[in-house]
Amino acid sequence: MLSLGIESTAHTFSCAVIEKRGKHGKILSDIRKIYRPPEGEGIHPREASRHHAENSPQVLSECLQKANVKINDLDIVSYAAGPGLGPCLRIGAVVARSLSSYYDIPIYPVNHALGHIELGKMLTGAKDPLVLLVSGGHTMILAFLSKKWRVFGETLDITLGQLLDQIGRYAGFASPCGPKIEELASKSKEYLPLPYVVKGNDVSFSGLLSATKRVIPKGIESACFSLQETAFSMIGEATERALSFTGKKELLVVGGVAANKRLSDILSSICKRHDCKFFVSPKEYAGDCGSQISWVGLLESSKKLGTKLEDTFVKQSWRLDTVEVLY
Amino acid sequence: MKLLKKGAEADIYITTWNAQNSILKIRKKKDYRIHSLDTRIRTLRTIKEAKMLSEAKSIGVATPLVYFVDEKKCEIYLQFIKGKLVRDLPIKQIIRTCKEIGKIVGVLHKNSIMHGDLTTSNFILSQKGLVILDFGLSQKTDKIDDHAIDLRLFKEVLNSAHAQIVDNAWMQFIDGYQKILGKNVTDKVVNQVLVIEKRGRYANVV
Repeated sequence: MLSLGIESTAHTFSCAVIEKRGKHGKILSDIRKIYRPPEGEGIHPREASRHHAENSPQVLSECLQKANVKINDLDIVSYAAGPGLGPCLRIGAVVARSLSSYYDIPIYPVNHALGHIELGKMLTGAKDPLVLLVSGGHTMILAFLSKKWRVFGETLDITLGQLLDQIGRYAGFASPCGPKIEELASKSKEYLPLPYVVKGNDVSFSGLLSATKRVIPKGIESACFSLQETAFSMIGEATERALSFTGKKELLVVGGVAANKRLSDILSSICKRHDCKFFVSPKEYAGDCGSQISWVGLLESSKKLGTKLEDTFVKQSWRLDTVEVLY
Repeated sequence: MKLLKKGAEADIYITTWNAQNSILKIRKKKDYRIHSLDTRIRTLRTIKEAKMLSEAKSIGVATPLVYFVDEKKCEIYLQFIKGKLVRDLPIKQIIRTCKEIGKIVGVLHKNSIMHGDLTTSNFILSQKGLVILDFGLSQKTDKIDDHAIDLRLFKEVLNSAHAQIVDNAWMQFIDGYQKILGKNVTDKVVNQVLVIEKRGRYANVV
């Protein structure tokens, strides 16, 4: 079965074709164009959606070309219907609807967070993991139980990705700022005390954000180092608590921040202590991409028919824990 | 000394203290945390836990007795409580127990104590009744927001680990809580729980 997936929740517009045989998926192509805001600024939803609209034809045709398939060969089309920025989501949805109605291909709206998890599972081979989803839009600790991904812990305010991006922007870096902060952090070993807020299985980053801004004048490198150490230790502890509570024997880390080396070092040392297998989504597919959406579309199509065109909405606030998983 | 459980925060051993069965809780050094941060967290939580266990006991909440605290080594010797974790009870019994949990949390909040880690694995059902554990994240606070954080965490645990019974269990919990604090205060705190949930990511507000 061939599926086209379209991702456009935030800064990335991406199309990907996956072929599914039995339970296995093969990514035939995954093309992305990423909107880059000016240095020191964040995503402007209107500008990002304009970027997506302008680039969508090229990304789509490149994606089909690389996969060596024609639109008529596609069995399904899926698009990220949320959560995300409204104007951006609508671009992906329009492309998907156009293809679906013109070529008469079944269409599947897909939850973006679910895409991160399912593609991560497919690529790493994790079976029944505790999942840590860390990105610009999410910071959640999840496990699957009776048809839904249940939240065992999450951020009470901003996400880990937002925390890093906001500090980076404040310091004048280009978004996304994670890699730059990681690079600067590696140059320091000086720890400046910052607030460490773990509430049960949950974390809160807003206080840490303000406090880090205050210590930047003492040196950007030590500020980045201290920020990473504090934030990642908090995530580490919350994850450890969830591991110990659920007794899961696998941990899977997905989302853009999964690419951070220091974070995965912390998590793998936690897994060692709890005798637990550690999986990280491959760097190439950790960030937002069409493959995530395409794969979930394929999984869903094994259990249900495509959505009626008039019901193909986008939902800006579509929490993962409200999605019923049938496959 | 026998290892009972490798917890997230601490390792739990069974041992003896002055010829009595005892639990030894050691907050071991975590290599992944920066040393100064790690020491700060472990020391503060050890002291906090010992203090609050005793304080909770003094207001009539059943907690293990504290035998001995070594804040340098981050160790606490506690009374051994025989029983089962609420998390591992049969479903129907969990629902029933939630009412008792609600009462205990009510008493704590009434006396300005926020527990900070209300999960079903932090309550033991013993022969003499329900015993509450693990005060490492507790705080002295009268803020409604803090009390609501406690309730929200418990709700999250029900929602995730006990999804089949969440509605019933939550109702029982609130019922017990209200028995101690009255309808007025309970409504305020429950309302604040909704406010906190709305602060979260992608809550149904748009």
